Amino acid sequence: MRYEAPETLDAAVGLLAGESGQARVLAGGTDVLVQIHTDRADPDLIVDIKKITELRDIADEDGAWRFGAAVTGKEMMDNAAFNAAWPGVMDGVRLIGSVQVRGRATVGGNLCNASPAADSVPPMIAARAIATVIGPDGRREVPVEDIVTGPGKTSLGKGEFVVSFQLPKRPPNSGDAYLRFTPRTEMDIAVVGCAVNLTLDDAGTCTDARVALGAVAARALVVDDAAKALIGTKVDDAAMEALAAAASAACSPIDDKRGTIEYRTEVAGVLAQRAAAIALERAKS
Amino acid sequence: MAESIPGYIGQSVPRREDRHLLLGEGAFVADMQLPGMLHVAIARSQFPHATIKGIDLAAARAAEGVELAISGADIHGVLPPISGMQVTTPQGWRDRVDTDILIPDQPLIPHDKMRFVGEPYALVVAESRYLAEDAVELIEADFDPLPPVAGPDAALADGAALLHDVLGRNIAAILHTTKGDGAKALDTAPHRLKRRFNHHRYAAMPMECRGVVADYDARRDILTVWSSSQVVHWVRREVANALDMPEERVICIAPDVGGGFGVKGHCYPEDILVAYLAKRLGRPVKWIEDRHEHLLNAAHSRDIAFDFEIGFDDDGRILVVDTDFVVDSGAYSPVGAGIAGNSVAHMLGPYDIPNYECTCTVALTNRVPNAPYRGAGRPEAVFAMERAVDLVANALGLDPAEVRLRNMIPPEAMPYEVGLTYRDGVPMVYDSGDYPKALRAALEELGGLEAFRARQKQALAEGRYIGLGLGCYVEGTGVGPFEGASVKIDPSGKIMVATGACAQGQGHETVFAQMAADMWKVPIDDVYVTVGDTSQVTQGYGTIASRSTVTASGAIKGASDRIQEKVFAIGAELLEAAENDLELRDGGIGVRGVPELHRTYREIAKAAKPGWDHQRPEGTEAGLEAVSYYEPPTVTWAYASGAAIVEIDPETGRVTIERLVEVHDAGVLVNPAMADGQVKGGLVQGLGGGLFEELAYDDFGQLTTGSLMDYLLPTASDVPPITVLHQEVPSPLNAFGVKGLGEGGAIAPPVVIANAVCDALRPFGAELNSTPVRWGDVAAFFGDDPFEISEPSPA
Repeated sequence: MRYEAPETLDAAVGLLAGESGQARVLAGGTDVLVQIHTDRADPDLIVDIKKITELRDIADEDGAWRFGAAVTGKEMMDNAAFNAAWPGVMDGVRLIGSVQVRGRATVGGNLCNASPAADSVPPMIAARAIATVIGPDGRREVPVEDIVTGPGKTSLGKGEFVVSFQLPKRPPNSGDAYLRFTPRTEMDIAVVGCAVNLTLDDAGTCTDARVALGAVAARALVVDDAAKALIGTKVDDAAMEALAAAASAACSPIDDKRGTIEYRTEVAGVLAQRAAAIALERAKS
Repeated sequence: MAESIPGYIGQSVPRREDRHLLLGEGAFVADMQLPGMLHVAIARSQFPHATIKGIDLAAARAAEGVELAISGADIHGVLPPISGMQVTTPQGWRDRVDTDILIPDQPLIPHDKMRFVGEPYALVVAESRYLAEDAVELIEADFDPLPPVAGPDAALADGAALLHDVLGRNIAAILHTTKGDGAKALDTAPHRLKRRFNHHRYAAMPMECRGVVADYDARRDILTVWSSSQVVHWVRREVANALDMPEERVICIAPDVGGGFGVKGHCYPEDILVAYLAKRLGRPVKWIEDRHEHLLNAAHSRDIAFDFEIGFDDDGRILVVDTDFVVDSGAYSPVGAGIAGNSVAHMLGPYDIPNYECTCTVALTNRVPNAPYRGAGRPEAVFAMERAVDLVANALGLDPAEVRLRNMIPPEAMPYEVGLTYRDGVPMVYDSGDYPKALRAALEELGGLEAFRARQKQALAEGRYIGLGLGCYVEGTGVGPFEGASVKIDPSGKIMVATGACAQGQGHETVFAQMAADMWKVPIDDVYVTVGDTSQVTQGYGTIASRSTVTASGAIKGASDRIQEKVFAIGAELLEAAENDLELRDGGIGVRGVPELHRTYREIAKAAKPGWDHQRPEGTEAGLEAVSYYEPPTVTWAYASGAAIVEIDPETGRVTIERLVEVHDAGVLVNPAMADGQVKGGLVQGLGGGLFEELAYDDFGQLTTGSLMDYLLPTASDVPPITVLHQEVPSPLNAFGVKGLGEGGAIAPPVVIANAVCDALRPFGAELNSTPVRWGDVAAFFGDDPFEISEPSPA
């Protein structure tokens, strides 16, 4: 196994594209190293991307935030302006692992590990985050929901990796929130995760919404029907009922000891309502 | 009485263990590095049940850095199995309890068949653990899978595949106990209620997994074994027996041990194998269990299903308990019928119940062996009994607290003859305590029962579900057969104490120093304590079963008493006084009422020395040292009432524990702060087992919770506000009035939470008769369209 830590994007792409065997990108390593230790991964080449400047930046570009794929959870938590702008995204980031894990783990890694239960992914999807992907054919921009294709699988081609994420400039009166449900209160894998991102007009009517669910299907879902249930309403009880029904209807979860299919489906609706209530509160404040 | 014991006992003396542990200077087995040390990796079965067709070690033996690779065939006939009777039961118990016990031997590495996923089939010794693990990958093993015996029902079914052909059945033990006339009492009882109660499989999860290092000194013919064990003398005995060495030539040491809770409370194959390898290879050998191995191979626990019937009258007086229960013992039963025996003996709890009929079957299955974990049979029995008491209350429309108070043994009935026999062979007599007072204190601490019922009614009107749960139990502690201690007065005058008790973080060194300091009237720093080292005390038993404070203190006292006879004789000689006029004081002995007539222990030690110029009186032998073995008359009875208030989220079923209270009696508390910590730690483990922790197997006999990602331990944020209140009713059975408290905390929480949830869900007639209490199962009681709960429904 070869370890490389290039300092430029081109060098990283060259290494990944040029490797004939298995290559893995390493950021925080909280998934990749564990997989190697437990024999679930046996790469021939590891390309550590942490030394590439563009992957470590976090910046407010005129209201649109961009952050590198190798920015750690802790670095994001320490950025007060970003926390104020995207509290729902940070709800998810704050739930990744433990304090120690967040000191290493990255949103890019959380996404590309392609677990259906990744906590930062639903709120990133709800936020309409766009991933900038680089590879042998240059750069392309991909909505976050199109990166993961199934458990452990992504749409990234050979030699490609995520460089950064861009979050759109937010209209006024916007709020987002993410909630996850677990047996234990912390350091656990989501039974259901739900993110809601919404915008109100001055009269308090919801003009835009996006709802994403985690852990209830092979990958995180965008639930358009759930968003439609909110748009055009004052997010009242009737809208909440419709939201819950739409969220539950979108679920096709697994059945395990953390939760049965019926239970996960039920809780998805409950979480959607609760996340929407928090997002609403944040939009109003 | 507590008040009459002066000195350190009863004071929260800071733990002498903490300094090195908190500074990261602890020395655990894994920290040991010996020159030339080799490392072991173990190949473990992936089949729950399979015949070994062949194991080819050639490639592993040829691998880089490999010193030795062996399978079961290589040691078959060389190393005996661990006897199924590691734990013997006394004749008195066998005479009084109807038993049929056939405990299978456990081969160190089986040569013929595998009996659980995780059982060793080969091992590699290499220059590093990495190389050893690489070589394990090269082992070619050929197995012929057999039908797995995936649980007790399968084990006991007609025509079931046999785990141990030699036994002719999948049963390790059957126990039968009666009190009064159970059948008649059931026939005539005004009310009867029958349920199935399940206590699921979970286990101790110490921060430090197991580990063994061994080193053989051929010139001195001494084999030293460092094991992360609770029972060093036990390990020594098994190692000496297996290697045909005198026990004196095997030294077993438990260095710092990061938690045990029972899972390190017996001898494992690895203890003997590593010792054998060190002797055979003439080099130090190390094996450290990783977490996956721990989950897959170290003993599991609980896993008992009770068919339970209770008969009662209109007033809620319990007339009879009749239960058949089955323990899933896994593939072997390393601690015999100990857990089952505990369940049998503790079923009736703090209640005066005239009739009892109990049959217990210990079934053998293709799962990890079942051995005691904190509570050891008691949490299981208490779950069944305390759920049943709540059901009796519901059936009669009485408050569960009221039914308990009506059935509890009153303090004036102490000592109370239970009418059963404890596993030490002695008829059970609850020695002391006030059970109703403990229950009332728990309710009081939660704000009082009436106030709670009013609050509950109000909450329900608001659509909120809160409940109060109770769990009351008694616990036999400080069980024999014995504990050993050696006490010496050093020439420096310091008091040297060693005992067979082993510490895993409890603070034994502090507690024994407190007690010895009081026995000798010395400053605590003048007492030096050694635990967990067989070279320091000839016979010892070890730390299991809430026993060390009770039994080791008795042994330390026995040895001290013997030395003190000499100290008084020599003191009388030196001070020219009558022995009757002397007292121990201020680090020595002196004449009562005459401060200046005093000799320090240093002076006494000098006078007592062998050889020229000693100052011993005629007939007093040289030296100030003694060994004593304390054989407790029987167990002391600790008890407690646990109580909690919970609130349920009706949409998700999540249970939030508002408060958890335990009113506990462990007699005189030697160190109240440490006693508090012990009980709290136990409560948290009880909550973990009751709510999160689960060792689940699929239908194919595979463990599906093989990492701490799936085996959920409670974290700090899962721990509710806890209050522990101590009753401190001294035991009349020992000099210090102490009772054991190691296990108590873990016993009540599973049933306290289940009862609290059922209390909150009384409008739905909810019954949770199985552990763990899962949020999904709680949620299932709500809604227009209640869905199926995941556990088996009540019978």
